[in-house]
Amino acid sequence: MPVHRALAPICAALLAGAQPLPAAADPLPPDTTYRPLPVMPPSRARAIDEAQKPAVMARQRELLDSRYDLADRPLPGAMMSGGTKPVQEGVRVRLPDGQDWDSLAAMTPAEIRDGDLLPQGFLPLPHVKQATGGQVFPQNQIDRIAAQEQRDLRRFDVDLDLPDHLTPEFPPPIFLTTQPHLGDVSRGELLTIRNYYEIMNGLVTPVQMEGLRLLLTPFPQEEFNQTEDRKVADPSLGVACLDCHSNFHSNAAFHQTPDVRPQASRFRLDTTSLRGMFNQQIHGSKRSLRSIEDFTEFEQRTAYFNGDHVSATRKGVHLPDRANQVAMMAQMQNIIDFPPAPKLDPFGRLDPTLATEQELAGEAVFMGKGRCAECHNPQTAFMDNQMHDLKLERFYKPGQVHNDMATLPDGPIKTFTLRGIKDSPPYLHDGRLMTLADTVEFFNLVLGTGLSGDEKEALTAYLLTL
Amino acid sequence: MFPRMIAAGWVLLAAPALAQIGNPGNLAPDTAMQDAATPAPHQRNAHDTLSYQLLAAGGMAEVALAQLALDRAGSDELRGFAEMMVRDHSDANQRLAALAEAANVPLPEGPDPEHQAMQERLAGLEGSDFDLAYIRGQITDHQKTVQLLSAEVTGGQDAELQRLAAELLPVVQGHLDSARDIHARLAGISPAVSPAPVARPDPAATPDTAASPAPGASPDPAAASPAPPAAPAAPETP
Repeated sequence: MPVHRALAPICAALLAGAQPLPAAADPLPPDTTYRPLPVMPPSRARAIDEAQKPAVMARQRELLDSRYDLADRPLPGAMMSGGTKPVQEGVRVRLPDGQDWDSLAAMTPAEIRDGDLLPQGFLPLPHVKQATGGQVFPQNQIDRIAAQEQRDLRRFDVDLDLPDHLTPEFPPPIFLTTQPHLGDVSRGELLTIRNYYEIMNGLVTPVQMEGLRLLLTPFPQEEFNQTEDRKVADPSLGVACLDCHSNFHSNAAFHQTPDVRPQASRFRLDTTSLRGMFNQQIHGSKRSLRSIEDFTEFEQRTAYFNGDHVSATRKGVHLPDRANQVAMMAQMQNIIDFPPAPKLDPFGRLDPTLATEQELAGEAVFMGKGRCAECHNPQTAFMDNQMHDLKLERFYKPGQVHNDMATLPDGPIKTFTLRGIKDSPPYLHDGRLMTLADTVEFFNLVLGTGLSGDEKEALTAYLLTL
Repeated sequence: MFPRMIAAGWVLLAAPALAQIGNPGNLAPDTAMQDAATPAPHQRNAHDTLSYQLLAAGGMAEVALAQLALDRAGSDELRGFAEMMVRDHSDANQRLAALAEAANVPLPEGPDPEHQAMQERLAGLEGSDFDLAYIRGQITDHQKTVQLLSAEVTGGQDAELQRLAAELLPVVQGHLDSARDIHARLAGISPAVSPAPVARPDPAATPDTAASPAPGASPDPAAASPAPPAAPAAPETP
């Protein structure tokens, strides 16, 4: 009896606690998380895609032109590390009417937000076709792969939206940590599955060579595969890791983050360089995967950057063996060096006997008033292996839709290295900034550092030395 | 606080929205086309049909729950929020109903079981218990609505419904920000949070070593902006 009496309140509490449960909610629709299966016959879907393409490209061009000055204005005397393409100069983000950079910097974030005064080029940049998303390659990569491998990377629904002069040099040079005395070993060629052995034999180990072969081997991907759910004309063998990371760098191919749903909220991803992989402790803009092995394996399992193992499985997923394949791919990636930076000492600091006054002034800004080095620490290859939230949404009203992308807070994003940064336009994880001068204005506003015109110019000059 | 948010919504409505362009693979196979690239008006796929149903049921429930809150809420701030819910969602419901009629989509006539249950539960509460339960329910509801509207923007094919979703998204996100802000105060999570937007310099990210605050930096609660503060770092979606 006493036992029953003691249990009664517990039962009552359980019942009370259970009361809200019968009202269990319906989940959100499945396609808010999962990729829907296409239902339109592929020939008709393709015809509509092709008919839409001019409007898609014009809409994106209109957005880009409203946000940026996309003109071809090389910075005199500044070339990328392979010496084949000039660095672009000047701030390209357009200012709102009636403002200049100093007047904006003098306002509070709330004033900028409430006045709709944030330069639109500082907002997240939409994918050229947000609803479909997927990988989009530059024409130079498409042409080179078609010529060497007879493999088609051209999508029938979209093209790359950025002009060539605002993307990295192609093909980019390759520097190996194991062969520093050789310099660029690319011979001016793009590494492909056809030529890699000829170019790299004698420079790498058998393990690295096998890793390289796998990194150049195409596997089915979300838009490049044999099913009706593809955006390439013929059934495709797929894409290779180095189709975006050309010569282990970047060719400005872009995609969407795998880590966010629904589709409208997925932010754009500008291909990141693999240079200096040996020093990076976290991988992926948002995932913070703890090894390059994890990253390499998971991307194969999820159809390259879609975070969707379900769809990947349907299209023919590659499940690389961790010990025999993943490790070799990782070992190859881990010998890719940064380009030479002759003015930096072993600690990543400028050698005052080699640097100009302006560059030294820029380094002082970088280390002090500009607060850059608080995350981009020179001693650890200009990063901190952390993710940080810049809280840009202090400056704009979240939820506005631009070209079908919901403009929402980015949340924490990994700190990227700044070594060799002049080689890697466009900038930020989504490529929303076209030049280094743009990044200086962006961070001056977002961090509220109040830099003068001279300090900004010095900082830009310093970034070119990295 | 609320007229500003509405105004922001209307500004968006006035802006010429660029055309929605979806993935043709996800168009319904019987879609009639206006031209080679564009579905005819009111052509819809399964996602649109579902959006109509869920948004209509949710919108009706928002108004009904807000009316209950106007009757019960102990906090003035919450009553202000409920007034905004009645006003904004009545407007959105009308626009959705007009679109549905034009597209010949039957809409639900009452709230769904989930919202019915919430209404019943709230009806049994009073005072601060009611206030907290209502605002917590509002946070969940608006989280779901934000995701639903986002999904319609890229998943649907009915251009008018997609445009409506795009226009409503910042407004509903504003509601969610307000609800989270009110909840933080009612629940005593961050009683010190000022209704003024966060002013620079932002001390949260890193310790301030450079000490160069921009002019006009000090937060002034007396000049509090009507808009809620920028979203704090807490996760807002599961």
